[in-house]
Amino acid sequence: MSSRNHDQWNATPDLQQGEWVDSKIYSDEEIFEDELKKIWSKTWIPVCHESELKEAYSFRTMTVAREPVIVVRGKDMVVRAFLNVCPHRGNMIERRPSGNYKRGTPSGTPKTMTCMFHAWSFDMKGKCVNISRKAEGYQDRLNESQVGLRELKCEVYFGGFVWVSLNDDIGITVEEFAAGSLDVLAPSLNQEPLEVFHYHKAIIPCNYKLWHDTNCEFYHDYLHYHNRITGFNEAYFARKNSGFDGGHINVGSFEVQYDNYEGSHSREELSFPHLPPNHWYMIDMFPGVNFNLRGSALRCDLMTPLGPNSVMIEFRGLGLASDSKKDRQTRIDHHNSIWGPFGRNLHEDLLAVTGQGSSMHPMAESRKILHGRHENETIHDENGMRHYYEEWGKLLNRSPSNPDEKFKPYPAFKEQEAQRAAAAGK
Amino acid sequence: MAENKHDLKEQVRELIYNTCIHLDDHQWEHWHDNCADNFNYAIRAFSPEVQADIKYHGGDKEYMQSITSMLSKHNSDQSPLRRHCTVYRVEIAADGKSAAAISSLAVYQTQLDGINSHVDAGTTSVFLVGRYNDKFIIDGGSIKFEDREVRLDTRRLDKGTHWPI
Ligand code: FES
Ligand SMILES: [Fe+2]
Repeated sequence: MSSRNHDQWNATPDLQQGEWVDSKIYSDEEIFEDELKKIWSKTWIPVCHESELKEAYSFRTMTVAREPVIVVRGKDMVVRAFLNVCPHRGNMIERRPSGNYKRGTPSGTPKTMTCMFHAWSFDMKGKCVNISRKAEGYQDRLNESQVGLRELKCEVYFGGFVWVSLNDDIGITVEEFAAGSLDVLAPSLNQEPLEVFHYHKAIIPCNYKLWHDTNCEFYHDYLHYHNRITGFNEAYFARKNSGFDGGHINVGSFEVQYDNYEGSHSREELSFPHLPPNHWYMIDMFPGVNFNLRGSALRCDLMTPLGPNSVMIEFRGLGLASDSKKDRQTRIDHHNSIWGPFGRNLHEDLLAVTGQGSSMHPMAESRKILHGRHENETIHDENGMRHYYEEWGKLLNRSPSNPDEKFKPYPAFKEQEAQRAAAAGK
Repeated sequence: MAENKHDLKEQVRELIYNTCIHLDDHQWEHWHDNCADNFNYAIRAFSPEVQADIKYHGGDKEYMQSITSMLSKHNSDQSPLRRHCTVYRVEIAADGKSAAAISSLAVYQTQLDGINSHVDAGTTSVFLVGRYNDKFIIDGGSIKFEDREVRLDTRRLDKGTHWPI
């Protein structure tokens, strides 16, 4: 058989469970809604970095699973998160991306979050401190203590990232949620305060999981001339991919040969604490977060799913808060040369997932998306994606390869091989 | 001198406009030729999200030459970018040895292969808007770029590009 007709194209691949997924998981509206409800509303998300909220009364706004969220630093310097929704008539309280409440707003007094609509105001702990013309309108039937903001779970953890959960009942800390997946970079990120030096965002017509997949698999280094020429040696092919509870993965390090790319230079002069020069680790956290440390610069991707075929990706670059001017500039240049919007790799990655997004649509003949490479859990193994989709299947109770069926736990690969051998009568 | 200044201003304008054609048409060598050896290039934008000035791209002349010389080895969106530029202000230094200019810039992208070419090819949209903040060295009859800052208003570049702006 060479090319295939409809039946052949739709036949179950001759691979084991978990080694392929149905493209419907990347395009189906109902599955997308299910994901927002059962995954994104239930988990911890690192919505920003504490260096974006340096001073008391500073704030940042964002969206988590369609919910408008505001993160503020109180005068006690504690970072708290709230729904950015006014308890009066549901207006979004803060419309700016960032700012500081030390200055008053047109409807409100300094040091309060004031809703512009009817001027109800709230302190940095979410307590309502003013209902305008309260006595005239509510007499003694309603008072401030009954109309506080909706507070959300919030933790500052792992190099100063601000984590938020919409789920009051999450029952686990960020550390427990990470299940050891952050340990590999914790010494480098926790040694001293970090600072964001880069931020940009992209809205891409593809499913958020396609971006996460691309961050999880390195087989696609064929896409990147830069990575082929600076990698693709024995040490590169020995890099380990390892899974952690909760669908998170790590990609192990090696020494990148930056000199091999014409016009590029070794980055040994500058690294992160405890990170050997030119090394490169990656953490992909379920359901859509990536920490990527290439020697001198840390990158963090945060996905905000907007629809089955639309994702906003926020890209942050971080260095050490104590950086000299020169070191900071070096980190910025290293970061941008690969990961900026004009960088060598990022544009290529985004092109590839755009291509996937445009080929998958809800009414399409199913595409069996193959995640079947096994290379001893090294860099071109696709175990990272398999690990992710096992967790995804469990949480949604849908089989990733047949999302209309219930999830069945994956047997270990060795068991699968044995089953296959037995079935073949070997 | 007054007349000479007027001529110099005209020459600076001409250089900015010619450079737009060079960049539009990927005549990278012509662009590099018109940059001084100590040339510096940067694309920057202020991010109201993190309240900081962000450098997106850039480096010295050698770096920009390596960027353009390596393009053919990279997978890229080949959808053409076309600049619309208006030089707003040119200032010639009193000694006549340097100049500075501010130009308004819009860059349009006409889809070719960036999405689904059957549907999207031929569609033009605004890729970015911003300004060129340029500095020049004037040496006898020759004017060269010493510094170019592309100051962006647009901060959603989505897929981005490999091409200098
Ligand atoms: S909706 Fe906010 S004060 Fe009325
Ligand atoms: Fe990549």
